[in-house]
Amino acid sequence: MGDAGAMSTRSPKGKGSIPKLVIRPEFEISDIAQAQISEVARKLSLIERIWNINGVRKAVILLGLVAAWEGYTVGFDVEPLMLPSFSVSVTTLYNALFHGDLIYKVWFSVKVLLIGYSAGLLIAAILILWATANRFGSDFIAMATAMFNPLPAIALLPLAMLWFGLGTASLVFVIIHSVLWAVALSTHSGFENVSHTLRMIGRNHGLKGIRYVWKILVPAALPSILAGMKIGWAFAWRTLIGAELVFGAASGSGGLGWYIFESSQNIDTDGVFAGLFMVILFGIVVENVVFRNIELRTVNRWGMQR
Amino acid sequence: MSTIPNVLVRSEFEATDITEADTGDAARKLTLFERISDMNSVRKLSILVLVIVAWEIYTRLSGVSELILPKFSATAAALFQAVTSEQLLEMVWNSMTVLVTGYFIGLVIATLLTTAATMTRFGNDVLSTLTAMLNPLPAIALLPLALLWFGLGADAIIFTLLHSVIWPVALNALVGFMSVSETQRMVGKNYGLKGLVYVGKLLIPAAFPQILMGLKIGWAYAWRTLIAAELVFGGSISDTEDGASGGLGWFIFANQMDLQIASVFAGLFTVILVGVFVENVVFNAIENRTVRRWGMQAR
Repeated sequence: MGDAGAMSTRSPKGKGSIPKLVIRPEFEISDIAQAQISEVARKLSLIERIWNINGVRKAVILLGLVAAWEGYTVGFDVEPLMLPSFSVSVTTLYNALFHGDLIYKVWFSVKVLLIGYSAGLLIAAILILWATANRFGSDFIAMATAMFNPLPAIALLPLAMLWFGLGTASLVFVIIHSVLWAVALSTHSGFENVSHTLRMIGRNHGLKGIRYVWKILVPAALPSILAGMKIGWAFAWRTLIGAELVFGAASGSGGLGWYIFESSQNIDTDGVFAGLFMVILFGIVVENVVFRNIELRTVNRWGMQR
Repeated sequence: MSTIPNVLVRSEFEATDITEADTGDAARKLTLFERISDMNSVRKLSILVLVIVAWEIYTRLSGVSELILPKFSATAAALFQAVTSEQLLEMVWNSMTVLVTGYFIGLVIATLLTTAATMTRFGNDVLSTLTAMLNPLPAIALLPLALLWFGLGADAIIFTLLHSVIWPVALNALVGFMSVSETQRMVGKNYGLKGLVYVGKLLIPAAFPQILMGLKIGWAYAWRTLIAAELVFGGSISDTEDGASGGLGWFIFANQMDLQIASVFAGLFTVILVGVFVENVVFNAIENRTVRRWGMQAR
């Protein structure tokens, strides 16, 4: 980082000063008798062995956080409208899930997300195919991604509502926008970085057009495609929640974001926390179950990624 | 899975019409047009111009309503007018002030967390549990809570920005630290580096590509969160002295409410410009000075 000394030694034509040679004084350790070989190997106690399990430590930390939260809210008698206790939030979540309509709201959000995500992937695939086919397409993609990737999809929501009306269509439109450019950008750069050897092997096998893309470019660039899909998912999830927070009720039942907004409007703070728990749970499932499995079955299995 | 693939023997054949073979141009002088169209910037610029021209012609010919899709010229005029007389620049400045404040506080917190995580196993566990839980949570979902805790105002937005920056940065930095090679670590220990010095002089430079990626993702999340937050509650951070402005997101939202669609487009252009500036100028400069100069990243 900002380490001028190290930089000047490292740069080949250091701008000026030659680093000084530091000669450290010789010394002799006197009290050698005190040195001792400590335990080299010993049987771990049961507690140590349990504590060495990753899952146990993390579960303890999680429990500790929950206990701290519960203890703070109950012990200090915090106003539940500002910060409800953990138990109240969980009870609300349970009631909303099994006695309320939270599960439908989650389903509504997921449905919109899936439609938007797959449409975005499809459009990205078509654009990328076009980009691999000719230079004009490639230039167009480079230009469009450079312009639209930094544009937060949610900023398009006002326009989308104007064009497609209040409803699912505008949500899908902004989600497509949030997925499309992230995926197109990383896929495009992934394709460009596929090694020439692999490309020539493909040509040697007589692969052309779509088959060339599918059999050579896609597997070779899969790590960066997956990275793009993950980023696209994260953007889409954020955009959806943001959009629903604001304009969610427009589409009738509303989604998870709308549930949070509604609860906060009613100063029903434990409902807000219940909604947040749901958002976290769903996010964890998608990131750690869905994408993790795809990775395990493809790039990890093919040895492209640890 | 376990079947042995058949050996495919392709039949021999002889090309007959060998006289028709032709070497083609091995080397030839390119025409002026070819040389110009080989320039990357020329091609990209002409695509941009083409899109703009198509937009202008389409809106003029099809007679599409100004409320649905304004002409490009009207949009450009609205942008010019917004900059000169509607304090658009001031709004951009307001947004950027909030963004930079949130981003830097977030970086400091992320640095503290990650440093603690590298020093002890307990810290590492705490951080990885927290990031696994909170990284998938969109920061904007915390805005209602933030509004409740901090009231309407810049504080609430900064709180959500913090949340959107801390987790991706901490996560990437931690992953980067953990994948620093053992050789480099041992070199550091050999030099007697310990604690903060060890992190600052050894781990951070060695994991910088990964850290930079975290910084970029954090910026992207923060930028999206800020615009979303302002779209909704943007008017409320206008509570400065003159009370005239608000942020960029608010500019878009207010104009959409007034059906000033040309100004909405002008706002979107500004968002794009700021985003392109940060990603291509700021982060590129950082990359050039660090990872590329140190030879840690190709191209």
